[in-house]
Amino acid sequence: MKAAIRPQSSMSRRSGSLIPDKFRLFLFASPFLVLILLFSYFPLYGWLYSFYNYRPGFPLSETPFVGLQWFKAIFSNPTQTQEVMRVMRNTLAMSTLGILTSVFPVIFAIMLTEIRTTWYKKTVQVLTTLPNFISWVLVYSIAFMMFSVDSGVVNKWMIALGFQEMGVNYLAQDDHTWLAMTLWGLWKGLGWGAIMYIAAISSIDQEQYDAAKVDGAGRFRMIWHITVPGLMPTYFVLLLLSIANFINNGMEQFFVFQNAINKDHIEVLDLYVYNTGMLGFNFSFATAISMLKSIISIVLLFFANQLSKIVRGESII
Amino acid sequence: MKSFRKTFSLLLLAAMLIVSTAACTSNTNNGPASTASTAPAAGGATETAGSSQREEITLDVFSMLSNFSGEQTGWFAKVIKDKFNINLNIIASNLEGGADVKFATMMAAGNLGDLIIFGDDGQKYLDSIKAGMLVDWTKEGLLDSKGQNILKYAPKAIEKNKANFGGGSSVYGIGFDVGDDKPGPSEAKDLTYNPNLRWDLYEKLGRPEINTMEDYLPVLKQMQELEPKSESGRPTYAFSMWADWDGNMMVLTKAWAGIHGFDEGDGFNSGGFTLVSGDKDEYQGVLDEDGYYMRGLKLYFDANQMGLVDPDSMTQKFEDVVNKMKDGQLLFTFFPWLDDTYNTAEHMAEGKGFALVPFKEERTFSYGYDPYGGNRVWAIGSKTKHPDRVLEFIDWLYSPEGNMISSNGPEGLNWELKDGKPVLTAFGEQVLPANDTALPEEFGGGTWKDGMSQLNNTTFKTTNINPDNGEPYDYNLWQSTLEKSPTKLDQDWRAAMGGALTAKDYLEKNNQLTIMRPLFTGTPPSVISDELEQKRGQVAQVIRQFSWKMIYAKNEAEFNKLRQEMLDKAKGLGYDEVLAWNVEQNKKVFGYRKQ
Repeated sequence: MKAAIRPQSSMSRRSGSLIPDKFRLFLFASPFLVLILLFSYFPLYGWLYSFYNYRPGFPLSETPFVGLQWFKAIFSNPTQTQEVMRVMRNTLAMSTLGILTSVFPVIFAIMLTEIRTTWYKKTVQVLTTLPNFISWVLVYSIAFMMFSVDSGVVNKWMIALGFQEMGVNYLAQDDHTWLAMTLWGLWKGLGWGAIMYIAAISSIDQEQYDAAKVDGAGRFRMIWHITVPGLMPTYFVLLLLSIANFINNGMEQFFVFQNAINKDHIEVLDLYVYNTGMLGFNFSFATAISMLKSIISIVLLFFANQLSKIVRGESII
Repeated sequence: MKSFRKTFSLLLLAAMLIVSTAACTSNTNNGPASTASTAPAAGGATETAGSSQREEITLDVFSMLSNFSGEQTGWFAKVIKDKFNINLNIIASNLEGGADVKFATMMAAGNLGDLIIFGDDGQKYLDSIKAGMLVDWTKEGLLDSKGQNILKYAPKAIEKNKANFGGGSSVYGIGFDVGDDKPGPSEAKDLTYNPNLRWDLYEKLGRPEINTMEDYLPVLKQMQELEPKSESGRPTYAFSMWADWDGNMMVLTKAWAGIHGFDEGDGFNSGGFTLVSGDKDEYQGVLDEDGYYMRGLKLYFDANQMGLVDPDSMTQKFEDVVNKMKDGQLLFTFFPWLDDTYNTAEHMAEGKGFALVPFKEERTFSYGYDPYGGNRVWAIGSKTKHPDRVLEFIDWLYSPEGNMISSNGPEGLNWELKDGKPVLTAFGEQVLPANDTALPEEFGGGTWKDGMSQLNNTTFKTTNINPDNGEPYDYNLWQSTLEKSPTKLDQDWRAAMGGALTAKDYLEKNNQLTIMRPLFTGTPPSVISDELEQKRGQVAQVIRQFSWKMIYAKNEAEFNKLRQEMLDKAKGLGYDEVLAWNVEQNKKVFGYRKQ
């Protein structure tokens, strides 16, 4: 131990710094620690609001303290509990679908790299990456333009081709809401998600392909035996990250697409919190519900940690 | 998180201020020149002479009623720029998530803007006063020095605000639609909502008799068959709706209660889950089986089965409906002002357009003259840097001159005085009420419609008599307008309606109006408890959601199933408790009405 420290401290002395190394490293890290405190721990202060009858505009000190009232309200009557359960079901379903579809960017990246015509490849890549930069609000207006009954292109085609007799409001249907939302998400994120894999593919050693070619491997075999295994580490890292975000499926997309018909299946936890808090004008209750999310996240974390322990013999915590 | 947001929004605000003041300095130079050329447009600018030398400011107007967001442009912008050197930046909660959402974020940030227009004088107004977000107009003699017109023309509205909301001494705002002190309905020629049908088509059908609200459906179906396509070749519908304005319930279903003399809210308390009669001591729960709301839902469901409901209704916005209306895709509306987009001079000359087609049971809701002012409140935000100039602006809107200009446009453009009486100019006849006619550059350019005041709140009843010329503010009621030869549409309609001149005229003669009496209690409305408020919020969402679902149900069985589901869910989330509270408040009002 001592031996390890000495040369370092002598180095710091040599570089002319008065600060000992161990503090120096801490100083290097401190901006990021501050950021983490600010964006990850400071917001926890907001949890306080669930113990009060908060009304916007009044400081907490002037609002009545109600203890666990809002937590009890979640389970106080069966209809309320059912509502929360419904929202949980949507959240889990949509997140699971999201994870299941996470292989699509991989497939897409592989197919993209197999294209030999450069201009075509570039065009496809640009066109598929672009949607990532469009806000969901705009995506919805595109959707409305395409699917509205009176002026939507899709309805016009369907009628012209004889598939349907009259216009159908595709945006106000609840038959495949989860699937539709997953597809929209996929459309928006496909090209963007593929970027990472394309980078991973380009870092695969070209010699492997040459060797395979010499051994007589065809295109498909090369993909299967070289590209796919080469991509696996990247894929698993990203998969783990997305599992960590399991409960956070965001609300923007669901917010813009929600309507009375699809609400039962589109309302994920984040959207429900928004709807009760902002539309229902009850911040304290919404805060209490949003805390459910954290509890579930913690459970998931321990679950993943345990899994990792069993499978890989290492754990995060 | 909240306080972080607060700091962040403060920073943002600071940045905005810097930007806007920077804009001021660069603009002041060309200010006076443009004012001089259009001095007559502002009209009678004696007391504010020299306004062009005043610092140019941009007021953030937080309007819970406006359907426009951004900077006010066009002729109205020009008028107030010339007169006050003020620009209006409108923040419309309708376009930003709804009144509650925008209000909550602005309250949390601690700044409601410079000029605030409340949609009602309920919880939000009370909260803003309590949280110190509004300027007290009595402080530092503000009202006395800058509110001369208000004190002169709307003294009772100030009195009401003092007694109801200001603890007897302070004034935090003033209600809209301040009326002269006289009995009778206060509307001009139309009521707030009415069954309006495409009159030309209705006439072609031989004007079939309509007894109940349900009787409209077969008539509308025949009208649709008569004119299946709009001017641009799109399908026509009886009902094209939008969800943007829904609150505790669907606005366009509630309207069916309105034409039976019932409204959400009782004229004193803000709305809840009761529909209250305007003149009788009667109320219904929104979800009452035989109530007008549920009847309205059934009517829309039947209409949808008949192909009369626009399938886009649930997913489109109000603006989309306006465009459809303009194109002639609609056959029915509730709102006379929405008619205006179709009832252009050309259409009306052809005899085409919307007009009241009454039904026998109709008893349309009407507001009486209320010298105490209605429940939409004009107020000033406590964070404003220029309370005096904001009040000065409000005061102008409450002056005969200001009201005349905001409702009819600048003098010399749309109207002029002949022998002391207002007369429409040829241009005025062309652009009023809300046509897309281009305006000369000296009056601000753009089109008439786009340049109209986007504040979307009134000050006086437009049927009040303008003390300056002895005529009502509404150009429709001017002697000169009434004497003019009516359009073909008007002629046809009047002939069919036994010589009645306007919709109001007809309904009044046939005793089909429910006139609400103004109420002055001297106390603010009771405040709902937080627990009940939470329940109200959640139940309202259920009612809104299922109302739309029921309308689009595939068949009667599904409709009934959804109705039961709505009842179960609403009751499970506390509908009955909220309803009981509303009823209790309504009963108090029935007591006040007798006093």
